[in-house]
Amino acid sequence: MDVSGDWNLIILPRVINDYDLDFAKEVMSLPEGKTMIQCYQCSYCTASCPVHNYWDERYNSRHFIHLARLGLIDELQKRADVMWRCVSCHKCTHRCPKGVLVEEVLKAILKTMAKKGLIDEYPSKKFDKFFTESVLEYGRIEDGELLFGWIEKQGYNVVKDPILKKPIPFLGETPEWLKQLVMKPIKSMNISFLVLNAKHMLFHPRTKNWNKFKQVLRKVVQEEGGLT
Amino acid sequence: MAKSVLVIGGGPAGLGAARILGKLGIPTILVEKEDRLGGNPILNHYHTLIPRKLKPEQVLGPYIKEVESNPNVQVKLKTELTACEGEPGSYKVTLSNGETHEVGAIVVAKGFEHFDPRRKGELGYGLYPDVITNLELEQMFSREGRLYRPSNGQLPKRVAFVFCVGSRDRQLGVTNVHCCRYGCALSGLQAMEIKQHYPDVDVFCYYMDVRTYGTWEYPFYWAPQEQYGVRYVRGRIAGITYSPADGRLRVKHEDTIVQRPAEVPMDLVVLVLGMEPSAGTKKVAKILGLAQDPDSKFLVPSEESGSNIISNKPGIFIAGACKGPIDIESSLAEGEAAGAEAAAFVGAKVTV
Repeated sequence: MDVSGDWNLIILPRVINDYDLDFAKEVMSLPEGKTMIQCYQCSYCTASCPVHNYWDERYNSRHFIHLARLGLIDELQKRADVMWRCVSCHKCTHRCPKGVLVEEVLKAILKTMAKKGLIDEYPSKKFDKFFTESVLEYGRIEDGELLFGWIEKQGYNVVKDPILKKPIPFLGETPEWLKQLVMKPIKSMNISFLVLNAKHMLFHPRTKNWNKFKQVLRKVVQEEGGLT
Repeated sequence: MAKSVLVIGGGPAGLGAARILGKLGIPTILVEKEDRLGGNPILNHYHTLIPRKLKPEQVLGPYIKEVESNPNVQVKLKTELTACEGEPGSYKVTLSNGETHEVGAIVVAKGFEHFDPRRKGELGYGLYPDVITNLELEQMFSREGRLYRPSNGQLPKRVAFVFCVGSRDRQLGVTNVHCCRYGCALSGLQAMEIKQHYPDVDVFCYYMDVRTYGTWEYPFYWAPQEQYGVRYVRGRIAGITYSPADGRLRVKHEDTIVQRPAEVPMDLVVLVLGMEPSAGTKKVAKILGLAQDPDSKFLVPSEESGSNIISNKPGIFIAGACKGPIDIESSLAEGEAAGAEAAAFVGAKVTV
């Protein structure tokens, strides 16, 4: 760090002093990161990327690959807030002239960064975990419980039923956007479908014989590291 | 009997011309200023030639043998052209050994010279022993068969190739604005050779553009990157410094993709040299009155001909690196084409 007497400023050094080549090795040791080595920085992926084009230009897949290959960690961390924003449209992967599986490589970069504690976990991963738990519990997705369970996690006061201790839809505090989101389709829905949905929300049906299968599945997912 | 042909220069292009002329039965005089044939690849001990990864002896050995053993070809070593008079079809040439000959046609193949990197002072060549040229790296491979840092004889952990030293550079004057054409591909090949023998050495190529044109794209750009993990970083090296603290060099550049300045430690830095027309090329151009590019001083072909071996003087043909950077196999082919053109010019009646 230099302190310039004339400018009365503290100047942070911008110079790259070294590469962290072990980072790239670690990324490429993951099966999804292997094709990173093939990139020649043409930027076909970035030009095709909807996130780059319509959301934030700092989301630049080509750039992330270059930074990861040379191990310029501080530059990657500067973009930590946008790096998770891939929408998985796979245009990059389908169009890459060098056959880089761009979307997978970016996931490998994120995985490596998360493993080394260089980046915070993506907020939506919390929802993913909640979702996975719900599937593991019932063998199916139960929309009502998923939605209101999640809303409870967000800090809203929901009313729970006394037996199963699960939130009862719409009885407690409900965000305004959700009311609107749900009310619109409900108006045009078949009455028997609504009844079915309401029944599911209250009684939480499971897939047949799910209890036996669930234990096996949970074990497998756990062994593969899916729950951590 | 047909008139004889003078071939000036005993490098790949000259050998190609002399070989085909000898084969066609035309009396040929081959003059070479050095004491042996082969030109730069043999005299400077190149290791492996692009694009077919053959050794110089493999490629040029048969040519030299054929030229030396052909009774139609008189090889005159340590000889240069000093004067030329007469008209197309009967040139009277004087050689430096005092001989005069009357020849029907002349093939000029005086070749190129490697750029002298001392002219780029900021790169520290000659100042730091670990800054070497790609020619010296070739010689390291071909003479000693191993890679080492000249400062301490140890294996470098990191090697950097600095592209375009003495090419595409207006700072050196108008003479060096052309592309050397072979540098990108040769660097890819050398990087692969390093990685084949020393997989743990990290190799970096600092480029502005990678010009491995045509079919060279895969073997000399994609393969080093994909199969050997050679890293390409975009940015021209603006300076090389030495750090006494760790005994390593620092390559100073801006990574144009990251848009940040960088001073990265390197153990061995290889300067990829450009090509310039040789002193002999300029001299012969003056004697024969051949057209030269006003900037680079390379010979330029006739404006009336679509072929690039036809010079502006009837009966004089130009081949090889005297008219711009070229690879060795094309040089041989051009030499052969120029030889055949010369044979046709002197009116040889060839029976096949």
